[in-house]
Amino acid sequence: MTEPFRLQAGGIVDRSRPLSFEYDGVAYQGYAGDTLASALLANGVHLVARSFKYHRPRGIFSAGAEEPNAMVQLARGARTEPNVRATTQELYDGLIASSQNCWPSVRFDIGAINNAVSRLIPAGFYYKTFMWPPTPKWWLRYEHAIRRAAGMGRSASEPDPDQYEHRYAHCDVLVIGGGATGLASARAAAHARARVIVCNENHWWGGGSFDAEIDNRPESEWIAEKTVRELRDRFDVTLLPRTTAFGYYDGNLVGAVERVTDHFTTAPAHLPRQRVWKIRAKAVVLASGAIERPIAYANNDLPGTMLAGAARTYVKRYGVRPGSRAVIFANNDGALADALALQAAGVQVRAIVDARPSSPLSRLIANRIPVFNDAEILAAAGKQHVESIDVAPLAGGPAQTIECDLVAVSGGWSPAVHLFSQARGKLRYDDAIAAFVPEASSQPIFPAGAANGCFDLAAALIEAHNAGVAASTRAGLSAPVLEPPHAKRHARSPLRPTWSVRARSKSDKCFVDLQNDVTVNDIALAARENYQSIEHLKRYTTLGMGTDQGKTSNIVGLAVMAQLLDVPIPRVGTTTFRPPYTPVTLGAIPGHEVGAHVEPTRYSSIHDWHATRGARFVNAGLWKRPHSYPRSGESEDDAANREARNVRNHVGVVDVSTLGKIELQGRDVAELLNRVYINKWDTLAVGRCRYGVMLREDGIVMDDGTTSRLSDTHYLMTTTTVNAVKVMQQLEYLLQAEWPELDVFATSVTEQWTAAALSGPNSRKVLAKLVDIDVSNEAFPFLAVGTCNVRSVGEPIPARLFRMSYSGEMAYEIHVPADRGRAMWEAVIEAGEEFGLMPYGTEAMSTLRIEKGHVVIGAEGDGRTTADDLGMGKLVNAKKWCIGKPLLNRSALTAPDRWQLVGLTALDGAPMPRAAKLVADPDHAAPNPMLGHVTSWCFSPNLDAWIALALLADGRARHGETVWAVSPLVNARVRVEVGSPVFIDPEGERLRV
Amino acid sequence: MSDPITLTEVPIAAAWNVQGNASRADFTDQVSLQFATSLPTAPNTTVRSDALTAFWLGPRSWLLVAHRPESPLADFTHKRDALNRAGGALFDLSASRVAYQIAGEHAASVLADGCPLDLHQRTFRAGDCAQSLFGRVNALLYKPDDTPTFIIMVARSFARDVWQALRQTAAQYGYRAQ
Repeated sequence: MTEPFRLQAGGIVDRSRPLSFEYDGVAYQGYAGDTLASALLANGVHLVARSFKYHRPRGIFSAGAEEPNAMVQLARGARTEPNVRATTQELYDGLIASSQNCWPSVRFDIGAINNAVSRLIPAGFYYKTFMWPPTPKWWLRYEHAIRRAAGMGRSASEPDPDQYEHRYAHCDVLVIGGGATGLASARAAAHARARVIVCNENHWWGGGSFDAEIDNRPESEWIAEKTVRELRDRFDVTLLPRTTAFGYYDGNLVGAVERVTDHFTTAPAHLPRQRVWKIRAKAVVLASGAIERPIAYANNDLPGTMLAGAARTYVKRYGVRPGSRAVIFANNDGALADALALQAAGVQVRAIVDARPSSPLSRLIANRIPVFNDAEILAAAGKQHVESIDVAPLAGGPAQTIECDLVAVSGGWSPAVHLFSQARGKLRYDDAIAAFVPEASSQPIFPAGAANGCFDLAAALIEAHNAGVAASTRAGLSAPVLEPPHAKRHARSPLRPTWSVRARSKSDKCFVDLQNDVTVNDIALAARENYQSIEHLKRYTTLGMGTDQGKTSNIVGLAVMAQLLDVPIPRVGTTTFRPPYTPVTLGAIPGHEVGAHVEPTRYSSIHDWHATRGARFVNAGLWKRPHSYPRSGESEDDAANREARNVRNHVGVVDVSTLGKIELQGRDVAELLNRVYINKWDTLAVGRCRYGVMLREDGIVMDDGTTSRLSDTHYLMTTTTVNAVKVMQQLEYLLQAEWPELDVFATSVTEQWTAAALSGPNSRKVLAKLVDIDVSNEAFPFLAVGTCNVRSVGEPIPARLFRMSYSGEMAYEIHVPADRGRAMWEAVIEAGEEFGLMPYGTEAMSTLRIEKGHVVIGAEGDGRTTADDLGMGKLVNAKKWCIGKPLLNRSALTAPDRWQLVGLTALDGAPMPRAAKLVADPDHAAPNPMLGHVTSWCFSPNLDAWIALALLADGRARHGETVWAVSPLVNARVRVEVGSPVFIDPEGERLRV
Repeated sequence: MSDPITLTEVPIAAAWNVQGNASRADFTDQVSLQFATSLPTAPNTTVRSDALTAFWLGPRSWLLVAHRPESPLADFTHKRDALNRAGGALFDLSASRVAYQIAGEHAASVLADGCPLDLHQRTFRAGDCAQSLFGRVNALLYKPDDTPTFIIMVARSFARDVWQALRQTAAQYGYRAQ
């Protein structure tokens, strides 16, 4: 394989490391160090894309992140990625890419018909045309067709196989940019002993300058061998190549994305594909360089047309000739130097078309290259590649045709002020360079070099050095005396603002925004139709709205508009720069937090036991809880019914470690409890526990649970699993902010204790085998609390024992330190075997509590219910104040038609529909007046019936009535009988035996 | 190749949360009597005594972690009552946290994957502690000495997730898990 346009020497490519790659099904060769674009150009491939709207052939236009044209579909299968800029994609062996937005091929594209009918589809065409007929339905149909025609690449349809990660970082000075300027700043900051991070977008170090001498060394040597090595080895500097700073946020927080393995054929498994850096810097040096601008002339989009600096970059950086016969079209001295570089590389430069009058530099060059001063290119011609251009004097007159295969254009350079602007920096229009430059920012950001409008290397190095010193000083460090790097100054002639050439004919397409196919004519149309504000212009014509965000087109577009309106450019202004600077792969944004890791998972210390016994798990907050333990051949529902029956008939044990547990100590705990619970607490004796309900300030039920008194001054409060954090926050807030005078200390002990609830008529028998205290009804009655030791394999386990019941059966809770939790659990299982003990899960637990009429915060307590609604109005102690009590007497909270807790039993043998609403007449026309709704439902294996808890208007007065439970969701309607919510043991005798 | 990361679970035999007013002599005397330690009053610092390390958690709250295995419940009620009488509080948290040690040149980078704090040796020195996040999990971080070594303590129920995340990140540098 040969690369006809590769130079024998020069550039950063490693000619000893050839790489194979495939583009549109053809195999090519490049070298390590190439980008996909430079490798394609080395092989003479220019035509790489079709444009967005007109499907015109497009080539490689730039050599960097600003690329509007050369976007390709990279890789295949799950790793395929659309809209990858060939100009920044590093080449690797085996890379596969294809052109996008064309069919059947990039050379012959059916969609190019759009170009022929382009006069029928001007700017705003979609808005004007597809609003008829004026119903949204039609737009959806049009949209489908338009999207297919105008689509860019295709995203992968399989899950992303790669890993991504986030990394926090802190530094004194963050330098954005890895060119000579950025490195000079980093060097100054490093010498001030600053902690420095340097983000460099490219895989090589260096920027827009190539051939200079810095400190009497060749520039490349000063950069790579001296400065980069010195910074890495001798200072506290983190160098991040392949890292784009994409966003600048408040508090000097900069987001950057590092492409860790995108340049590997096969990425090592232990590395993330990309890493998002969240860098908190005390000061930032912005050395992000500048972006060259095109000039709009007819057919300035033909492949073979590229920015002059890009042409030079391909020659100097990659050792590639981007053409054989070149014409330069420029309005500044920099592009004249580019012409010399092209000529030195063997490109025949056939003409320089300079919009300016003759200058010292152009007179110098004129011996070697024909120079047209005060001239412009009116149009280019060619089919799928530029073949010739027409050059004419600015003043008018006959055009001359020059054959060429490369047009290198430079309309001047615009500082890359994107991040400065995101940092809420103000911009100023600088007439000397015809560009916006940084003015002032409220954040400590120091622009330097080309990013600050300083295009002379010698001056930029000094400016960068001073920025590095200033940033270090801002970070609180004192800089030692250090000479800035030295380079030779070059005298330059001023540029002449040149945005578009004079129109030749109406049908000419002079492109401003190559990615979104916006022409000078489109801007003129917008101006005529009064879309003259830059923000309107952008949205009407889509100027600058592509994935390149108008990096090459925005300034040209607003300058063209300014010319049309005959106002100064600053009056037109710029659109707002927003993150990201360049597109960020979606996978990088969540980092690790995808799939099962969207949130962390909490595991009980008995989790593995549950898992080995075949438990099916259910999420409860962040916890995994056993739903049920199906035996082989048993469904989850059958398992839950078996478990629930077994509790009523024998004994069961359930893992309740997830309940929130808060310990309180101090002399005033009872007073605190009086204030946060509706019931009274100063009568609670040591060794006893009590149920309590907490209200929000508005009187609505917030949480419920039990509190036990462990000593005179030591209490244990339990909360629901889901509200554990909320209750703890509430208590901390109250103790610190509202009632600091209370002598109460609180701490969460949820994680300290593993808890098992032993429930059923045989529970005492099991317990008696397990513990070393008397658990008879006399010694340890209902609501007793004590300590004991649990016999187990190994040391006895110190435990807290509580006699309380959620199931309605005789029941105990055993709490042990979490590191002994599993041993306790296994001891319970073993001791219970002879009494028919089975573990049960949350489903059986729910069935049991529904049968018993126990409410759940989140179901019955739905953020609208009062204690009275839930049948606990009598718990509200009349003689004391508590949070929420003053608002309980509001008329709406005491209205007679409040929805109140009831029990429902399904009639006619039908299952209780889920999420049902309660109505009087199921055949009533919609909307059917709602009497209430079902809050919890289950099949009760102990009653052999479908039952439910529900909230029903004036429900307590309706016991014995029949209403309908209807669910439009599942199209179900069932007759239900209203009754007491307590289906089992209403007198509570089983609890106290 | 630099030294690999070493990840080690550090067993916690006994740990207590002590709360009270450090400017009250009866409270600090009682702490000193019961635990033979003073309490750090500067935020995010620790006091290391022979038997335990005391971590500053807040203006009125400390975590005491014993260095050697001992029964957390030995004398617990006695110590609790003594501190309650002195206007303070003592909670047994021996089993509530799991501690991991991350050691090696890139230890700070491993933590930087999930922790937004600046753990550079200039800002997080030997003896410093801090409460922050690792991923979405509350974590107590501690730097025991001048070597690149950190200890991270997280609630027991989150430990499995955190251990997995530490291993995944440490794999970039090469690691040994103990």
